[in-house]
Amino acid sequence: MSAAIQTLDISPVGRVEGDLDVRVEIQNGVVTNAWTHAELFRGFEVILKDKDPQAGLVVTPRACGICGASHLTCAAWALDTAWGTTVPRNAILARNLGQIVESLQSLPRHHYGLFMIDYTNENYAKSPFYEEAVKRYSPFTGTSYEAGVTISGRPVEIYALLGGQWPHSSFMVPGGVMCAPTLTDVTRAWSILEHFRQNWIEPLWLGCSMERYEQIQTLDQFEAWIEESPKHANSDLGLFWRMSKEIGLQHYGKGHGKFVTWGYLPHEDKYQKPTIDGRSSAVIMKSGTYDGATDTFGPMEHIFTREDMSRAWYDEGKVVHPFDRTTKPISKNAVDPDGKYSWATAVRHSERGALEAGPLARRLIAGNTAGQAFQHSDGLVLDMYRKMGGASIMLRHFARMHELCILYREAERILREFKLNDEWYIKPTERDGRGWGATEAIRGALCHWIEVEGGKIKNYQIIAPTTWNVGPRSTDGQRGPIEEALIGTPIKNQHDPVEVGHVCRSYDSCLVCTVHAHDATTGEELARFRTA
Amino acid sequence: MANLLWLQGGACSGNTMSFLNAEEPSACDLVTDFGINILWQPSLGLELGDNVKTILQKCISGEIKLDIFVFEGTVVNAPNGTGEWNRFCGRPMKEWVKELSAAAQFVVAIGDCATYGGIPAMAPNPSESVGMQFMKRAKGGSLGAGFVAKSGLPVINIPGCPAHPDWVTQILVAVATGRAGDLTLDEFHRPKTFFSSFTQTGCTRNMHFAYKVSTTAFGQRKGCLFYDLGCRGPMTHSPCNRILWNRHSSKTRAGMPCLGCTEPEFPFFDLAPGTVFKTQTVMGVPKDMPTGVDKTGYIKLTAAAKGMAPAWAEKDIFVV
Repeated sequence: MSAAIQTLDISPVGRVEGDLDVRVEIQNGVVTNAWTHAELFRGFEVILKDKDPQAGLVVTPRACGICGASHLTCAAWALDTAWGTTVPRNAILARNLGQIVESLQSLPRHHYGLFMIDYTNENYAKSPFYEEAVKRYSPFTGTSYEAGVTISGRPVEIYALLGGQWPHSSFMVPGGVMCAPTLTDVTRAWSILEHFRQNWIEPLWLGCSMERYEQIQTLDQFEAWIEESPKHANSDLGLFWRMSKEIGLQHYGKGHGKFVTWGYLPHEDKYQKPTIDGRSSAVIMKSGTYDGATDTFGPMEHIFTREDMSRAWYDEGKVVHPFDRTTKPISKNAVDPDGKYSWATAVRHSERGALEAGPLARRLIAGNTAGQAFQHSDGLVLDMYRKMGGASIMLRHFARMHELCILYREAERILREFKLNDEWYIKPTERDGRGWGATEAIRGALCHWIEVEGGKIKNYQIIAPTTWNVGPRSTDGQRGPIEEALIGTPIKNQHDPVEVGHVCRSYDSCLVCTVHAHDATTGEELARFRTA
Repeated sequence: MANLLWLQGGACSGNTMSFLNAEEPSACDLVTDFGINILWQPSLGLELGDNVKTILQKCISGEIKLDIFVFEGTVVNAPNGTGEWNRFCGRPMKEWVKELSAAAQFVVAIGDCATYGGIPAMAPNPSESVGMQFMKRAKGGSLGAGFVAKSGLPVINIPGCPAHPDWVTQILVAVATGRAGDLTLDEFHRPKTFFSSFTQTGCTRNMHFAYKVSTTAFGQRKGCLFYDLGCRGPMTHSPCNRILWNRHSSKTRAGMPCLGCTEPEFPFFDLAPGTVFKTQTVMGVPKDMPTGVDKTGYIKLTAAAKGMAPAWAEKDIFVV
């Protein structure tokens, strides 16, 4: 193969959702440079200006129909901190349950509907696992595909018991929640969780009991678990692990090796008087940053956030904190790899630069043994990260699926903790002020900033996980996380570069990405395919 | 066997997510049992092997018969009418929409954005969004008031934010099984079978509505959400309380006021200060009456109802 540089173009992620394009340069069969660009602008921040302070509760879940509960969680907590509300214990639990069941829904839906289909790509026809992968993961007809996609609707039935429907309920409001569940709602929720466990988690996903899986704490123990029984090795998790290794997905998609999580799930007894500053010490799942190169943890607060717009289609200065944004889109939107090329801003930590958001970030920071007794710790993924040479497509996706049992247990705990005769809502007094609400959507760090002035919204800003991950270069030229992760990706077949798709899909970037490959010398289009 | 193509414009993917919750039939059943061949869908797992653009072009040229074209999301026209703020396969999505709609036997708009413009089209509508054949209540939209698909039907509108999966799958099955002739549409192109009754039809709070017992604040099990919390259930057309959501419930049953998301005006009052989750009143009388009720009648009815309300109505009947 000649050393000529060839260019691959990847298409559709709006500021908070939508369409992502990626351009990749390939030399000697390996990606040497990359640009990610968002191709849809709907202007939710512009729409929210001058509206009712509570408009975000209606509008922002509709910014993303995939992570609507996560947006609603942020919108409600942002108003709580701005208005200085009191949120009853039951309401904190109900919000957390809504967040959790949305994430539980997303695990099989993403795994089968979006991720595993690539394992049936002809690229892997020589793999000893290929035939089995085709049988299980072919779209619509695969045995695991049909079971997994169909059962993914069950966890959000619990969301409907709380909020009436999923997606797009607005049941979380400043001061609490709109609902007041009864015993039958709780028992139904239990039965839904049990069904999900008995019909998918244990028989199909794990091939063993949740309790057995939960004993695993290290990479060695995990691999011993795979060897322990053909049921484990042949489960969907076992097959994912073995085939991923066999086709080399532990070797690329590395990225910057720096991670961020806002933490989430405020403890029901620790955040009844919500403030911006009090949040990090009240969340069950810890917030923070992790630097893989130095193996060190750091704190994370909203004040560290910067949006760099030097390479994005906005006209509002170069680098600002979201409270200082004005959201002024520009109308010249030709893609210019040397200039502006995206609707996504480059989100940066004021000291640590570009950070990767997502389940891998959450799991690495969960490995931090510092923290309070009520905060969750789990060292498995951190151990894997240290022993497997850092981040990869395989580890990123494993981290996502590993949260299944952890979230399931927290949902069970919440169902035990509801006190059905206690209050669910305390009517707050509306007032002007600044607020901030954050959570972790399944695909990573999500937060909303609100400024209320004169009884209406003066400024509303959202930074989604995909904004962190898919953002363009910053003023200093540092690539965004996915751009960086694409470097070093081997491309076997330039007409069907499934490897680029693996990298983008491992970040679970929001929605449709189309990869299309161009020969740099002739301009001929080589291939185009979906990445999410 | 019917070929279906599903694209998204100014969308959140909420209708796709809702669709994946479908049960009778499920999304997989549509393919395996009803012969719906999904040519392409942004979130569903079809490998294309080659490229999306070729499929779209073959649909437009007629090489692939396009039986059903489903569109989710608004048609984006910004900036300055060009549509460049929503590019897809290298050109503005609105151009694809126009050409594919002309080639399709049936065109189905799913969700409030595709039908009437929805939230992106709310003032100041920065993306210059419109619906496929409407902009809010006004006929026209992106395709024009006179548009009809090859079947002779205009754009079939399945509104809702999102649309309930059964509303979508049942229309798709009707078309795929040759029962499209039974489809009758109302003035906003909604299938009458779903959108003639009200959201309130079947609501568990109807007895409280009848006796004018209000849910005065959130987190209460008793009362009706219409009087204080801005519920639009009595004047919104949808089967939300006949065909339950996610098998179990509805927003009004759970305690959330109906936002009227199946009507062209959604979001109502453009979410202006003071309008969210608060009933708009003049001299204590709601500005928007239950459909067909006049102000004088309302005052007489509610005064009588309140006077005759039984004692249990003020108590919690949905007890722990």
